[in-house]
Amino acid sequence: MADRFILELKEVSKHFPVRSFRRFGQVVHAMDEVSFRLKEGEVLALVGESGSGKTTTASIIARLYPQTSGKFVFEGKEIDPGRSGKRNLAYRKKVQMIFQDPFSSLNPTHTIFQILSRPYVIHGDAAGKKGLRSRVQVLLESVGLEPPAQFIDKFPHELSGGQRQRVNIARTFSVEPLVILADEPTSMLDVSIRMSIMNMMLEYRETRNVSTVYITHDLAGARYMSDRIAVMYAGMIMEIGPTEHVIGQAFHPYTKLLRSAAPAPEKGLKRQKLVTHGDIPSLIDPPSGCRFHPRCPFKMEECSKRIPDWKEVDAGHFARCFL
Amino acid sequence: MRNSESSKQVLLEVRNLQAGYEVKKGFVGAVDDVSFCLHKGEFLGIAGESGCGKSTLAFAIMNLLRDNARIRSGEIDFQGRLVSALSGEGFNKIRWVNLSMVFQSAMNALNPVLKVGEQLCDAIHAHRSISAQKAKERAQQMLQLVDIGPERYDSYPHQLSGGMKQRVMIAMALVLEPQLVIMDEPTTALDVVVQRTIIEKIQELQQQLDFSVIFITHDLSLLVEISDRLAIMYAGKIIEEGPAQDVFSHPLHPYTHGLMNAFPSLSGPIRRMGGIEGKPPDLLDPPKGCRFFPRCSQVMDRCANTYPPEILFEGDHRVACHLYEGKGDMQNG
Repeated sequence: MADRFILELKEVSKHFPVRSFRRFGQVVHAMDEVSFRLKEGEVLALVGESGSGKTTTASIIARLYPQTSGKFVFEGKEIDPGRSGKRNLAYRKKVQMIFQDPFSSLNPTHTIFQILSRPYVIHGDAAGKKGLRSRVQVLLESVGLEPPAQFIDKFPHELSGGQRQRVNIARTFSVEPLVILADEPTSMLDVSIRMSIMNMMLEYRETRNVSTVYITHDLAGARYMSDRIAVMYAGMIMEIGPTEHVIGQAFHPYTKLLRSAAPAPEKGLKRQKLVTHGDIPSLIDPPSGCRFHPRCPFKMEECSKRIPDWKEVDAGHFARCFL
Repeated sequence: MRNSESSKQVLLEVRNLQAGYEVKKGFVGAVDDVSFCLHKGEFLGIAGESGCGKSTLAFAIMNLLRDNARIRSGEIDFQGRLVSALSGEGFNKIRWVNLSMVFQSAMNALNPVLKVGEQLCDAIHAHRSISAQKAKERAQQMLQLVDIGPERYDSYPHQLSGGMKQRVMIAMALVLEPQLVIMDEPTTALDVVVQRTIIEKIQELQQQLDFSVIFITHDLSLLVEISDRLAIMYAGKIIEEGPAQDVFSHPLHPYTHGLMNAFPSLSGPIRRMGGIEGKPPDLLDPPKGCRFFPRCSQVMDRCANTYPPEILFEGDHRVACHLYEGKGDMQNG
């Protein structure tokens, strides 16, 4: 069976102007030449440290702002960068985002009913006032907020962080999107609640075949959630491939660094010391060539001269490295 | 193993500590009847969810509870001295000299309008009467120890990255060579790679300078790896404590089981994990019996009414749970 792709990014870059007098005219290279395709029903994890361009990538897909260059194809049609305005409702119905912070992404002056009935009203399938209420109740049940009567008239501040994130997810589910962009949905939640949120998203994917871009800095969480992983560093994808391959047979030195830095309780004292130096580079003036070369233990002369091409290290597993 | 354990010197002993916050509706018992022992040179990890009282415990030990927060009862022994009985001024003499703390967010703990070097010198001058030149030398030496060049002495906090600020905080905590350093989520806001370098630095310094550490975090997978002993807190109580690898490979308390089940692994087969349903109790009015019983998968009748006794297993592994009554290796006494 041939894979069907719901969306594709082709060498998409996003540069933000620097708002400083001294650096007038310079740009932040938040995202450079990012290319990937998202299969129907697939969970793709974008993994990277803060400032690696994960959220920018999701925001480009959500059309929160247009890309600087590159092509963005959705359902086989190229989406014009200019069409990113608020009126693009049909697109918004198909692509929904779950935000990181469950505390600031719900309007504190609205009740849960008001928050969750908005999508139905906006997208024009409101079924009368009474119908609306029962739809919101069904929605609350679907994200495990039961009994719904207990939650529907509450305000966000009356709910715990985990419950608020469930409301956020319910809002996403309400329009039955084709693509969900989840931007670190569990990073601000307590550990005991994280797994149930992750499981809920996995179950939804299984029943609806929704495609998901799952953004996280936690490699183990990415492994739990995703079919494929894309590792981002300083605005570029360094390695992409099937999850087990990327984690088990990491090719790029940066992926290896991430993997060795992740906590691994079973390793105990046998852990090897981390080989790294330096910090994430400035994105205003990124390093020439491979962006990781100043920190790379295997750097060669070539690395600082040009950006490595994609290399297929295994079936469907690509890395941007000269090694 | 236990022999070497018992031959070690006890550095800190907390006995039946109750601490919390006075509010209009009553007393929030954030730390309730907590007892534990820390040996010299030991690395103790305290894990728990937000609101379980782990930071309150740290602040109580440091005698830093202010405003409506206070210690209600219990004793804290440090180096054989009953420090919980010390007056505010009496404690000022030992705070930072003998025990210090690395606070949760370095971003907010450093003074933004003072150079980091000056802040280090302030800490030195507050406790030692030495010349400005000597203090500066010492401060630079400390910065060097945490891999920050001496030229950074004149930097302001905003000129440093998050990881560097956190290392300055560690240098600050170590500047007077204390015997105990309490670290309250020192790496939570940092990226994994930076977190790892900081952890490695702490371990290296601990070997070099031989201080004890109480490391507080919610990230159990990290704690298991770095600590000697591990204490799990839930709703103000320590519900399980023991050697870290032992607690990891043979968790006893159902809550510990649940926590271990909440961290996906990077190796081995992927299995569906559960996490823990429900949420922690309201500490203003905690359940009468075991605090975990409303969320527990193995709840019994008596769990709701009586708080479980502490049961001690071989290897100094203790648990407070009715499931193990009569199954312990030693009588608790």
